[in-house]
Amino acid sequence: MKLSDKMAYESYADMMFGTAIKPVTTKHGLVIGGGFVIPEIVPHPRPGSEKTLKTLMREFERANFDALERCVLVGHPAIVIENEHISQMTNNPDWGMEITIQTAKQIEEFKIKYGLKAAYRATIADIRRPDRVNLRDSEATAKVLESFEKCAEAADIISIESLGGKEIFDYSIIRNDITGILFSEAILGGRDMEWLWTRIVDIAERKKCIAGGDTDCARSNTAMFMAGGFISKDIPHTLAALTRAIGAARTLVAHECGATGPGKDCGYENPILKAITGMPMSMEGKSSACAHPDLCGNVIAAVCDLWSNEAVAYHNMFGGTTPAVFAEILGYDAAAMNSAVALGFQKEFQACLVNSDRYRGPHGFILSPDNAWHIGKAIVENSRSMYARSKAAAFKCAELLLGDPNLRITGYEKESLLGYLKVLESLPDEENDFIDLCMRKYKNVNGFKPDSYGLQ
Amino acid sequence: MKYSTDTSGIFTRFDMEIEVTRRSIRRISSDFALQAIADCVADGDEEKTEEAVKEALEQKDPLEIIHEGLIPGMNEVSRLWDEGVYFLPQVILSSDAMMAGIKLCEQKLGKPLKKKGKIITHTAEGDIHDIGQSIVNALLNADGFEVINLGTDVPIDVVVEACLAHKPIMLTGTALMTTTMSAFPKIAAKLKSMNFNIPFVCGGGAVNEEFVTGFDLGIWGKEASQAPAMAGDILEGAHWQELRSKWNG
Amino acid sequence: MIQTGIAIDLGTSGFRVQALDLDSGAIIASAISTCHPLPGSNVIDHIHFTLEAGLETANSFVIQALNRLLEGLNIDLSRVVRTAVCGNPIQLSLFISQDIEDLAYAGSKKLESLGKSGVVRDACIIKAGIIKELILPEDSEIIIPPCVHMEVGADALAMIIKTGILERNETAIVTDFGTNAEMALFHNGVIYTGSTAAGPAIEGRHISCGTLAVPGAVSDIEPEGGRFRLTVLDERLLPEKGDLISLPEGETAEKCGSTPVTGITGTGVIALISEALENKLISIPQINSTDGLLKLTENVSFNRNDLMEAGKATGAIRTGHLTLCANAGISPDDIQTACLSGAAGTYLDVRKAQTLGLVPPLVKTVIQAGNTSLAMARDLVLQPEKTDEMSRLAEKLRDTYCMFSSSKIFNRVYLLEFSYWTEGMPLNLYRSFLKKYGLPDFNPGVSSPEIIRTVENQLGETGSTPVAVVDISCREELTPTGCTGCKACEIKCPQKAIHVGENQPPVVSVDLSACNGVSCKNCERVCPEKCFSLNGYFQKFAGQTACL
Repeated sequence: MKLSDKMAYESYADMMFGTAIKPVTTKHGLVIGGGFVIPEIVPHPRPGSEKTLKTLMREFERANFDALERCVLVGHPAIVIENEHISQMTNNPDWGMEITIQTAKQIEEFKIKYGLKAAYRATIADIRRPDRVNLRDSEATAKVLESFEKCAEAADIISIESLGGKEIFDYSIIRNDITGILFSEAILGGRDMEWLWTRIVDIAERKKCIAGGDTDCARSNTAMFMAGGFISKDIPHTLAALTRAIGAARTLVAHECGATGPGKDCGYENPILKAITGMPMSMEGKSSACAHPDLCGNVIAAVCDLWSNEAVAYHNMFGGTTPAVFAEILGYDAAAMNSAVALGFQKEFQACLVNSDRYRGPHGFILSPDNAWHIGKAIVENSRSMYARSKAAAFKCAELLLGDPNLRITGYEKESLLGYLKVLESLPDEENDFIDLCMRKYKNVNGFKPDSYGLQ
Repeated sequence: MKYSTDTSGIFTRFDMEIEVTRRSIRRISSDFALQAIADCVADGDEEKTEEAVKEALEQKDPLEIIHEGLIPGMNEVSRLWDEGVYFLPQVILSSDAMMAGIKLCEQKLGKPLKKKGKIITHTAEGDIHDIGQSIVNALLNADGFEVINLGTDVPIDVVVEACLAHKPIMLTGTALMTTTMSAFPKIAAKLKSMNFNIPFVCGGGAVNEEFVTGFDLGIWGKEASQAPAMAGDILEGAHWQELRSKWNG
Repeated sequence: MIQTGIAIDLGTSGFRVQALDLDSGAIIASAISTCHPLPGSNVIDHIHFTLEAGLETANSFVIQALNRLLEGLNIDLSRVVRTAVCGNPIQLSLFISQDIEDLAYAGSKKLESLGKSGVVRDACIIKAGIIKELILPEDSEIIIPPCVHMEVGADALAMIIKTGILERNETAIVTDFGTNAEMALFHNGVIYTGSTAAGPAIEGRHISCGTLAVPGAVSDIEPEGGRFRLTVLDERLLPEKGDLISLPEGETAEKCGSTPVTGITGTGVIALISEALENKLISIPQINSTDGLLKLTENVSFNRNDLMEAGKATGAIRTGHLTLCANAGISPDDIQTACLSGAAGTYLDVRKAQTLGLVPPLVKTVIQAGNTSLAMARDLVLQPEKTDEMSRLAEKLRDTYCMFSSSKIFNRVYLLEFSYWTEGMPLNLYRSFLKKYGLPDFNPGVSSPEIIRTVENQLGETGSTPVAVVDISCREELTPTGCTGCKACEIKCPQKAIHVGENQPPVVSVDLSACNGVSCKNCERVCPEKCFSLNGYFQKFAGQTACL
């Protein structure tokens, strides 16, 4: 696998919502990144509905229908429906397939009846728990690959939130251990993705389906949620920001293996990925508050191509069921951005989005288009190894955080950041030396299996 | 792209504000002498507080010193304690410093300061473990209540007589030894028979919720730090049953 | 004919009895119990029980249990000519049926009103015959050693004498790690003593997953290559290599040992906190895992409240040490030798105890002395004249004894410990308060002292015969008049000590040794018919001696 060594965008000033250098077109002709922001709705089944295939299919049928119907009702021209597999759907690959086929039919019906442009993203559940199974050779692995095969038949886009390195990450994050975080992302996550995504891309090519992308959700979002808001202090926001920058170098692997985008919505690192690859990205912020709070609700939309709600459990609200309500919200968010494009105000609108959160906290700051681009540049300029580029991303991130006086960080945050920098500076230069060090340090962490990653 | 440097209308960095106010007490007065008094209270320095109060008394009204120096200083300490910046030993020192200052002001006034309400505290007859009671005393003082401290090893009749004489809004009892806690239901029964139905908050290592809520008037005090809030509820008109249903169960 | 002597240790959490050959001094047989016969878990519970149920009843419980242990020795008791009993003032008083009301209260006003102030418990020798129901030869003599004070008894004297600190010409501290932690500081020829209510957490009680030393209890935790190795007590209460687990998740990496984990002992708790602190899994008072738990297994976990309870208990011991040091005008850093006695003291890992401040920071030698009380009783049986040595020591100690509960120093320092363990007050602030109060400062830290274990197990010597573990638990049945069999008492009993039968009228049985004591009485309070009386069970049990 060749590591990226060039930026697709020559300048961050060129990055804009709705447009990607390399747009993708779905089976049904929906262009993503081709000039317009498109909503991506993610309904989630209620607990209990997973008891049988029949009840689960009924749940998704309703949820997806409600979203499609609301688009027609209020006049949203296009939508992507994403179904994130619950474990049962991947454990029984036929379930995932049946639901995919059912949704494809629904989309077709809405196209015929109303001309609504829609697409379906099937996100396979990564049921390979790194602490329980061998990531490359286990029943769970076989099920994941089989699910990809089966869903790719009817889905427009396939994706996954892969879990490689999660065991070391969880161990490290509660210990504030930046070395372990780097190891879990750059070495373990990166190697697992290379192994997995080569296979996913192969399936997608054979089935004429779009290999979307991955996300650092299992690691960077865990860190971001632990850092929390302004009054939580489980871990510093600066650590969550460093994790995000490191995680970007990992998620990028999907695209280096051949994934074409759109990237997965919960990958908050996607602005960095878009800067490097020029591919369309799905993002989520204020309208995913139904799933979790964040400190970058607007800025994250600055360069998005799909605009998502992360996940919302299916239930009733005053204004209808949640998929209908959120499809409406997301569609209007997109319509505002598309209006800006129509008026030629997109730069101004983008500036509004960015200024909302640029200085709200470390995450919003590093994901502003300019800073995201700079982190991306650090990644491509250090393409000699996964380790080198991940560490460079962390250093660049820290440099940015400390370099803008308008970004205020608390004493505690700053002190912690300087501490992580010291640790990072003490690490070896070469990837092999780093691996040796980490293998010694983490070999006994519960469930860690080096051969899951082709190590020793 | 333009970046606005004034973000005050866009968002509020509560984390920065929390950190700034965390470092030390807020400015409570533009008057140098009053601020100095508040600082001494916050430092928990009894001697310096007394010196500062004595000096201020040459120019100022004792009530002003109390209400605009000593009490605001203590309030800042309580706030910092709530926020996890200050710790209990510091709060107790500050409470002692404030009380020393108030005492000097009261001497000058020639009469005691009017407090929020009277509370009698004691440690059970036969027991001398009074760490819990000292914490309760300090926190109640800090919150502006008048504490009548009967001390340790207090016979049942002395407690009951003190209640009749002082008419407190609340009585507290502390016991570490289970052998001594049997005094509590006896005190409660006597008060009840005299139709003096004040809340009787019992705490300490010996007693548990089941025991204390097993007799009328009894409210279990899990932590010494709950005492001021309980007393506050009584000022707002809470009866012992209401207090029990709020704090126990 | 061989003459036999009996050494008895009456401990708060159980009794230990040994038979000795008076000619050779050899141990012939040993028997121990795993619980104390009286309801409750500490001395105050035992006193409280005695006040409510009566001295005679309490005495009867103790003697009946002791008789079972004596029978458990399986020797010819008619050859016994001399017995020595060691223990704290309460246990000795219950044994000889001496009034304990003076021990029930610490306040002098209350004691004066009862006419019980200034009671002195000197050494005495009595005939076994005067102790009702005791199955020792009537003419044999029983040596009862003296007490220093209501809180410091013969067991503390035993600890001072048997650890040998008086012979070592250096500053030393002895601590009995139990619910009531007696301690003595020896400095410049003077002995300073005190006793602190460390609380039941030190013996694994009041901890959600805590337990006394029972099979399946985790007694130690050791780091092993990034994971943690449990030590679990087996069916014979011997430490056994247990599972290798990860913390804080509690997932088993390697199965080992045959005893399933049921809980954690006091020493296990100390080990857990110490390891978790070193591995940054705890920042007092927080547990740094995503669910706020340190899991040892799926079902056995340690929470924030447990951490605070254990912290307060260990804090009381460090406070005691600091108070004695302040009285002697030295710093804990000046202490060269630390002796640990009691069951917990025998099994405690010194490094871990030092991490928590239970052992002074700069000691050069640590002696783990085991059960000094039983060893003292053995000495007294073989050399009765040693009683005089104890009496002389007791007399000397009465002047330098410190009643912690009325000590201003103790109260101040305990507040610092309280804040340290429950609010997370930083240690440097703690130390600056010590300076502010003019008290001795100390260096937090861990030295690498030489460790001397004077005994293999907590009994000390056991001779060539095995140790009989005797069940002394007392179960009693009654059919309370008016009982409807609603089981409210059974459900509400925190110790699960009550069983209500299915028949009508229902037979209600109570395991009196498991009972939490008369300070609990949930059973009586919740009874809708008000027909359940705990005392009825006590009286019935005490009344039936014939069956033994």
